[in-house]
Amino acid sequence: MTIVDMGHGGARSATAGAPALEVDDLNVVYTVRGIDREVLRGVSFTVAPGEAFGLVGESGCGKSTTAYAALRYLPRNGKIVSGSVRVGGRDVTAMSDAALQEFRAREASMVYQDPAQAMNPTLRVGKQVVEAFTVLGHSAPDAAKLALEALRKVRIADPERVMDRYPFQLSGGMQQRVVIAMALACHPKLLVLDEPTTGLDATVEAEVLDLVRVLRQETDAAVLMIAHNLGIIRSLCDRVGVMYAGKIVEQGPSAEVFDSPQHPYTVGLLRSLPRHGVRKTERSLATIPGILPLIGAHLPTCVFVDRCPLADDKCRTEVPPVVALEGDPNRFSRCHHVDRIADIPEPEPGVPITVLSPSADQPGVLELSHISKTFRQRNHAVPALVDVELELGEGETLGIVGESGSGKSTLARAMLGIDAADAGGVLALNGTQVPPSTTERSADDKRALQMVFQNPDSALNRSWSVRRILARSVTKLTGVKGAAANKRVEALAAHLRLTPRHLDLKPRQLSGGLKQRVAIARAFAGDPRIVVCDEPTSALDVSVQAAILNLLADLQSAERTSYVFITHDMGVVRYLADRIAVLYLGRIQEIGPTNEVFNGPNHPYTEALLSAIPSVDGEEKTRIRLEGEIPSPANPPSGCVFHPRCPRAMPGVCDTTEPQLVEVAAGHSMRCHIPFDELGRLQGVPLPTPNDD
Amino acid sequence: MTDHPSSIVVPGQMPDVSERKQARRENWRLIRRRPAFLIGMAILLVWVVCALFPLTIAPHHPLDFRTGLNQSPSWDHPFGTDQTGRDVFSRVIAGARDILRIAPAAAVLGVLFGVILGMLMGYIRGWFDIIASRIVESFLALPVVLVGLLAVTTMGNSAWVVIGVVAALFTPIVARTVRAAVLAERELDYVTSAKLRGESTMFIMFREILPNVMGPIVVELTVRLGYAVFTVATLSFLGAGPPPPSPDWGSQVSDNYSSIVSGFWWRTFFPAGAIASLVISVNMIADSVQSVMEAS
Amino acid sequence: MLVTLWLLATIVFLLVSVLPGNVGRKVLGPFAPEAEVQRYNQAIGTDRPLLQQYFTSIRRAFTLDFGKSYGTREDVRDMVLDALGRSGKLALLAFVLTIPISIVAGIIAARRQDKITDRVIVNAGLASSSIPEFVTASVLLSIFAVQLGWGKAFANPPDNAGPIEQLQYLVLPATAMAIAYFGYIARMTRAGVITALHADYTRTATMKGLSKRQVMVRHVLRNALAPTITVISVQIGYLFGGIIGVEKVFNYAGLGSLMLGAVGAHDVPVLQGAVMLVGMIYMVSTLLADLLIAYLNPRIRLGATK
Repeated sequence: MTIVDMGHGGARSATAGAPALEVDDLNVVYTVRGIDREVLRGVSFTVAPGEAFGLVGESGCGKSTTAYAALRYLPRNGKIVSGSVRVGGRDVTAMSDAALQEFRAREASMVYQDPAQAMNPTLRVGKQVVEAFTVLGHSAPDAAKLALEALRKVRIADPERVMDRYPFQLSGGMQQRVVIAMALACHPKLLVLDEPTTGLDATVEAEVLDLVRVLRQETDAAVLMIAHNLGIIRSLCDRVGVMYAGKIVEQGPSAEVFDSPQHPYTVGLLRSLPRHGVRKTERSLATIPGILPLIGAHLPTCVFVDRCPLADDKCRTEVPPVVALEGDPNRFSRCHHVDRIADIPEPEPGVPITVLSPSADQPGVLELSHISKTFRQRNHAVPALVDVELELGEGETLGIVGESGSGKSTLARAMLGIDAADAGGVLALNGTQVPPSTTERSADDKRALQMVFQNPDSALNRSWSVRRILARSVTKLTGVKGAAANKRVEALAAHLRLTPRHLDLKPRQLSGGLKQRVAIARAFAGDPRIVVCDEPTSALDVSVQAAILNLLADLQSAERTSYVFITHDMGVVRYLADRIAVLYLGRIQEIGPTNEVFNGPNHPYTEALLSAIPSVDGEEKTRIRLEGEIPSPANPPSGCVFHPRCPRAMPGVCDTTEPQLVEVAAGHSMRCHIPFDELGRLQGVPLPTPNDD
Repeated sequence: MTDHPSSIVVPGQMPDVSERKQARRENWRLIRRRPAFLIGMAILLVWVVCALFPLTIAPHHPLDFRTGLNQSPSWDHPFGTDQTGRDVFSRVIAGARDILRIAPAAAVLGVLFGVILGMLMGYIRGWFDIIASRIVESFLALPVVLVGLLAVTTMGNSAWVVIGVVAALFTPIVARTVRAAVLAERELDYVTSAKLRGESTMFIMFREILPNVMGPIVVELTVRLGYAVFTVATLSFLGAGPPPPSPDWGSQVSDNYSSIVSGFWWRTFFPAGAIASLVISVNMIADSVQSVMEAS
Repeated sequence: MLVTLWLLATIVFLLVSVLPGNVGRKVLGPFAPEAEVQRYNQAIGTDRPLLQQYFTSIRRAFTLDFGKSYGTREDVRDMVLDALGRSGKLALLAFVLTIPISIVAGIIAARRQDKITDRVIVNAGLASSSIPEFVTASVLLSIFAVQLGWGKAFANPPDNAGPIEQLQYLVLPATAMAIAYFGYIARMTRAGVITALHADYTRTATMKGLSKRQVMVRHVLRNALAPTITVISVQIGYLFGGIIGVEKVFNYAGLGSLMLGAVGAHDVPVLQGAVMLVGMIYMVSTLLADLLIAYLNPRIRLGATK
């Protein structure tokens, strides 16, 4: 067990002085169609001054409701039924409107997801930041000076210019900095951060999180942080509460909770993450069967009982007590069987998958050469994809990673012919060239190449039943009709672990995970050779993601299908992919076998992506930080497109000449002017001995 | 990896009914709880019954002028009589027929054409959409009542002309709504997926997309019905309705409003009230339908 | 804009010239003497080749020259503009009466969402906007002018009337129109304010510790009024549809009465001119609304600069 200390003086004792935040037995209901439904069922925790406390849990567990209740900003249909919220000793639930207004102005602040929406789109940034100071009683000129100061404090280099802009003219990272600056205007006693980096790109997220860390040292605010990403919580919070169905089921210092979880839910959550570089062929991921109880469900039991591998009759009849654990005085688990945590079965071993790598006499199932895609925008050429070369072997998984604007979805759409690639490139299936647009492709070509989309709500026709969705694909792709098609649909469903009952439901009656299964079943309806998966799990909770990743691995093992797997999640791609391609501004910057890409030496961009991941294991990493914003593909920088953000850029070379994609080791190519061994030296990675011939 | 079958979220507990019926039943249940809907339906029903069986319900014949002239409302003539001694109550009852024939026909036709045009504009896009959008925009600049007058003047005063003109002027309005819905819909991945398995444009438009935009279409139909009643009544008040002996409401107001100043208010008030009650009832229904559809 | 104007002229042309065949015969009826029909056709130009008629009609639309009235031989443009001036006065008064009240009612309804005040405003709005203007006008006339003796039953002020006296004549018909627009504007304002109240930036403003009033004035309204402005601009066009009924009830010599007279006299050029003019007013008002919205929303104004 390693206790990591990220940029802060360690957990300050919760007993020093009045707690910054004290939530006691908080019960909140939402009124839905006239009925009060319980959302929070007795939440209690305290946050000491200067301490950072994290709440984690999957969607619907009540973590955001807790945050909003803490500042008494519940939705119109929400109300606090019982319990108290004290900030600095004062009861927030009992404040008058005027007192509440004063409290929000001077003592508490909040930063939340989606900074683009958090600022008034019709007012200049400056006006909005200044307002945060005038509300404290500062005169207009003073407030303007303080606003500039505040923007400098959140590391905005050119605050005068930013003040003069409208929110939509700033990038997401910049917007979030401005929101943070406004939140800190009053030197709050309590700062609530609700998923502050969700939706931001990995390198931008890392920047914002660094900023939060630094600011925590500079100010004395207590932090309540909500995140679904366990790594972020671990890297930023002293203590953590794990929430499930409106209850905190386990609480304690972050490192202890994540390193030796003492509640079956925490155990399941952590095991469902791909960690420690484990691959799909070695071990499958743990899943948490079943779903979260609906809000308002009557639960005179352990809230987790329906999904718990340790559940017995006691769990079904008695609410488990708060069991204090050894070590930290505030460490507890709400479980009848803390002593049996070790009995939770380990995930099953992985599945064998044979990969037929393409070679000279064995063409790959999919080959792309010189594939480019240029969009036209107001008579402007926007190169979204530039000269992409790829091949894919049978049973192989190629991971494609990159941030927004990198062209990864464009690449997927070009492969499938949804947006045909520019003329001049060659796209071949099993060694035979196919037309660029899907409408010109033969039925067999269409059948061979199918797709799983990011958002199953969008991907499934919501007025069709599951049976009709699958049957139509079977008929269209294989020509099988009627009873035979129906038989195939049932077989397909069984293969995807959908029951016959699911077939007669509409998508909206299914949970997110089941919907994605239907979408995968549809992609497999015609026995495709290649399935392109575009972020298929990014909209899902981690335990559901685990089930989907296992399923994809199983299908690949049985059907020898090849995957092109697009994702921004480096953990997922490491688990699933055999090779990884890193895209930046439509260009492949690095491509190579998964292990080599993760072990390095890397392209500096890959290096930045890898070091941007906040790890749930608390591994210390040398980090490289990217400055500036991702450029628009409409206006790519000169020379190496990455050079303006590259900390290792060599002036005079990188800004003038575009590097070529060069093979630096067997099957490992890179687009960088810095020699491979030099990169290895800079990154502290011993070079692989050049003997694998 | 066992996601056991309990992972189905079934709103309500009606597992044996087909899903479509269930959704409809849910909407129906919600809408029935709205007082505005119930009141609107009750008023509309009264007028529909009047339109179907005017002679059974009315105490007198609407054209029968043997009773006394200009009598104020009484037990015998609850709405009074007009300048030729006809019973205003009976005429109001009989007058429901014209408007309840013309307005729904115009609304249905307008929505039908609007849906077809809007689907084509939204799905096919390109030049067709650009050109059609400009035409739709110009149509929107035409005030319905003015064009109705112009058309009735040049094309004659028949019910079909009124139906045709009102439908033609509603078409672009409906098309714009449907186009917007289809534009949002065609960006969804199920449409991409349909293309990937080689579905035809017609199939995608009418089998994949249409069922998903039925909500706004139903709303549009009820709203257009309200506007149709409004427009048809106004046109007939302005002289584009059926000729004088007819008990049509708009024509009745038109024939009698100048006598308000002479104190014979009931000759105008009751047909005007009839128009108001019908329009309000249809709009109450439309508003309820809209709220329920938007909530689901 | 010019394209729309051209399309508008084309639509009106199609309506009067192509669809009905022999316009003179249709307008004058089956029993009119043939010579009369020909004279009519000649007067409005429907005896000339279609294409020539079309170009004439388009030129007229762009030069605002609609020819001479068949009935009075006066210049249609003068007649229409004259009548428009009087109708404009009425419409302006209606807007002055209705816009502030409707917007305030919409804001109140939004702030009291789902409470009794809100229900009352919403349903009053629904009723007010669904009743045809001539119905409201008739009812106002019977109650106020006739029973109570307030306002005038005939809206035409004497030629030498001062502004106050004119107002006395116009107030009842303007109220009838104001009632009709109350519903549209109040409901749209309410919807806009509710959307803005639920927006994240409103939450940010509240969390900053601003008072409810500051949040409403500085953050909510600026964002909430765009749809309302659109509705008002669209209503300016429809205003002239509703105005016909009101002018008829109150015997007011505006555009509506001019058109009704033209219908009676089968005076197609006057009708054509009036419809074109109203269409143009609609186009100008939506254009102004778009400019105003762009002014309020920098995203639209500066959209391309990101």
